[in-house]
Amino acid sequence: MTSVIGKSVKRTDTLGKVTGGAVYAGDVVLPGMLFGRMKRSTVAHARIASIDVSKALALPGVKAILTHADVPRVLHYGSPHPRSASVTQDQYILDTKVRYWGEGVAAVAATSEEIAELACELITVDYEPLPAVFTVDEALAPAAPKIHDVGPGGNLVLDPFLIKRGDVEKGFAEAELIIEGEYGMGRPTPAYMEPNVCLCQWDPLGKLTIWTSTQSPFMVRGTLAEVLGLPLNKVRVLVDHMGGGFGAKQDLFQHEFLCALLAQRTRRPVRMEFTRKETFLGGRTRHPGTIWLRQGFKRDGTITAREAKIVFNSGAYGSHGPGVTAVATASLTSLYRCENVRLEGRCVYTNTPIAGAFRGYGVVQSYYALDIQMDEVAETLGIDPAELKLKNAVREGDIAPSNHPLTGHGLEDCIRRGIMETGWATRRARGRAPQTGRLKRGWGMGCEMHGSSAYPGIKEQGNAVVRMNEDGSVTLLTGTTGLGTGAHTALAQITAEELGVRFEDVAVVHGDTDVVPWDIGAFASHTTFMAGRACQMAAAQVKAKVLARAADKLEVSAADLEVQDSVITVRGVPGMRLTVREAIAAERGIPAPQLLGEGSYHPTKAYSFGAHFVEVEVDTETGQVSVLQVVPVHEIGKVIHPIAAAGQIEGGIQQGIGHTLSEDYVIDPKDGRSLNASFVDYKMPLAMDMPPIRTIILETAPSDGGPFGAKGVGEDPIIAIGPAIANAIHDAIGVRFRHYPITPEQILAALAEKAGEQAA
Amino acid sequence: MTAPITTVAMPVTITINGEARDLAVAPFRTLLDVLRNEAGLTGTKKGCDVGDCGACTVLLDGEPVNACLVLAVEVDGRAVTTIEGIAPEPDRLHPLQESFMALGASQCGFCTPGIIVMAKALLDRNPDPTEDEIRFGLAGNICRCTGYTKIVEAIRATARQMAAAGQPRE
Repeated sequence: MTSVIGKSVKRTDTLGKVTGGAVYAGDVVLPGMLFGRMKRSTVAHARIASIDVSKALALPGVKAILTHADVPRVLHYGSPHPRSASVTQDQYILDTKVRYWGEGVAAVAATSEEIAELACELITVDYEPLPAVFTVDEALAPAAPKIHDVGPGGNLVLDPFLIKRGDVEKGFAEAELIIEGEYGMGRPTPAYMEPNVCLCQWDPLGKLTIWTSTQSPFMVRGTLAEVLGLPLNKVRVLVDHMGGGFGAKQDLFQHEFLCALLAQRTRRPVRMEFTRKETFLGGRTRHPGTIWLRQGFKRDGTITAREAKIVFNSGAYGSHGPGVTAVATASLTSLYRCENVRLEGRCVYTNTPIAGAFRGYGVVQSYYALDIQMDEVAETLGIDPAELKLKNAVREGDIAPSNHPLTGHGLEDCIRRGIMETGWATRRARGRAPQTGRLKRGWGMGCEMHGSSAYPGIKEQGNAVVRMNEDGSVTLLTGTTGLGTGAHTALAQITAEELGVRFEDVAVVHGDTDVVPWDIGAFASHTTFMAGRACQMAAAQVKAKVLARAADKLEVSAADLEVQDSVITVRGVPGMRLTVREAIAAERGIPAPQLLGEGSYHPTKAYSFGAHFVEVEVDTETGQVSVLQVVPVHEIGKVIHPIAAAGQIEGGIQQGIGHTLSEDYVIDPKDGRSLNASFVDYKMPLAMDMPPIRTIILETAPSDGGPFGAKGVGEDPIIAIGPAIANAIHDAIGVRFRHYPITPEQILAALAEKAGEQAA
Repeated sequence: MTAPITTVAMPVTITINGEARDLAVAPFRTLLDVLRNEAGLTGTKKGCDVGDCGACTVLLDGEPVNACLVLAVEVDGRAVTTIEGIAPEPDRLHPLQESFMALGASQCGFCTPGIIVMAKALLDRNPDPTEDEIRFGLAGNICRCTGYTKIVEAIRATARQMAAAGQPRE
């Protein structure tokens, strides 16, 4: 019997991508289309005293200009999750204040991009400057200016998020070693390749259609409808292909509202497309911040207590601040077993660009701190760090950050396999000959676990509709978006497998909120896990209907039937067979039946695990760190499409190397200006920087909650790589870094300091 | 008062994917914008518009260029190949396109057209590139999804496959 699960079938979305035929939102052109553009703030915090658009309006080709006086004033969610605790309600389309350098203050529609751009330059804004704060410390100072009227006050995005388990005082009293440290995080951005873009058109009946590059079309629909005062059936969101999002394109951005309003005002279609610079300015970043972490240990490496204080910089708006803070805080209950924890997470407004959702969602930061500290402890206790992590790794039955008992021993399996694959013990400084010379090599490892859904922050729901057509072909309707992960192919595989048809018989319909079932959005590593399970449920219903018909025709019991590759056979009766097509075919004068299945799945949580083993080379003359090789070991349950899963891992590692060594979106501490809003100045690892990656995927702890035991993989790979690199640098040169990015200047300074200490 | 933008279109003839196209383009328009808007070939992507990302890589008389850094009027009388013109026949893909699909070298796909065009230029010059040569050849193309692992694999696999088949590279 053949099975399509676990096979790297040809992805259905890539033919268009390799031929140039795939349609992205910015490729759509409509007759009479105008070009929209935003005027952006040149100050970080100010009240808008007045805006003069008269010169811009007089420019030939300018068709409409919108300022705060022209748009609905509705306080809305920055990220339109359904009223969840993950996001804040603190934004207006355009406000009478600006809260960061680069925020939109007006929008223009014109007959060309050049005219729209010139018109923006002709708009003059009279700002009444307000005192601005750019760091968390400034924002939390007693006399700090208040950035928002909403929220708990004191520039907090939310009330401090607290978790207590066990007895922390007792745990520290029992400790034989207590270690504490502060860990700092820079400001990486997702830097997806496709700049944000949308195209809006209204029909004569007052219905808005928006093509937009979003991960969450139904969230876009909901918030646009709410803010514009429309019923949901008057907003249609279309997204076919999209050029990456990595979490950040969950938010609803200013231009999406403004584009809709400009199209309404001009009665013409309007496209608004960010420049690359705007994608930095108006985009979303990972939360920068600090984590103070203190742990108690027995001499044998047992953890007795853990205490942490997380402070994240949210930037000018809350966006996903509450969700990221909660997930980061909760994540520190786990990974390495500890019964006594006291954790506090805070998130603070500043007058800087907005931090939002980004692959890893707070866990990148928290496990960076935790896993480096574990290495420090291992060094102090004289235990191998991999052995220390193995000893403390969470296991079957341990309570996960979501308060569920964990299934399986995924983390343990990953660490053991990595130790074996890399010959770990002989690789580390303790096991090898001392290095002389300018280039120093070292090995490090880091671990992670991550949930395959947003539960319990959001009680999610995955939906699918499966329809069998009268020729036996299958149409899968899904509301999930195709970020580029190959999820739609995985959903088709799951549907085919469950239904017993061939993979090529399943066609996927997606990307149109008027047609497909409701979906919460493609994020939280949940699409294959959650929507996949809904597909499985829907397919099972269709299968039952098909087999019932076949049973009638064959005059056997449906319970005795099997279907594989679209052929129905009778158990124990060789030779008795019927194709699916024959089973459901129309008969003379009688149409084929309607065969529809509908799956709706409310998941709780499953966790995937990973351990990354990394070799680096530090050039002690230039401070340059090169990653020489990475061996990522991931346990992700049943793998649906091995190549796509490995692709997630390799891409996550690329972004994680960037975060750790070179990527930092820099904001001028004097005036809040963006200092490196381009691909040349914001340095990501490219083809020549990327090391060989030997990806190992384990399937040792499948989830009962996922289709065929599958779990998520999207976010996991970006988490463990960071601490693995920092730990490898320590192994190479004996210097401990407790922040990212770790730059060549810092390496050189630290080496100079170390040399000075040794000389003294 | 700022003068309105006047657009004096200039006639150019550009051979795009083998077809001579007579176009009227404003002198400030880039080849990228003309390909996407005037010629209707949206496979070539705009990732930055300032020559940093390589998503708009096309072949100009066989040499790879960032289409966003070339003015359309400069291309008058010259030949441009875009991702839409890479396949040797309408129903037969270029081996690079097959390998990119089979080996998972395309994820979100936004960088893919530029990278395939760049890879074709590379293989045209050097039919048997080493891994380092492939990585150097892609130094100007940003991919944010794949970590480049499968892109490099796909290009190497294509080179081997084309050598084995003795196919002419077109």
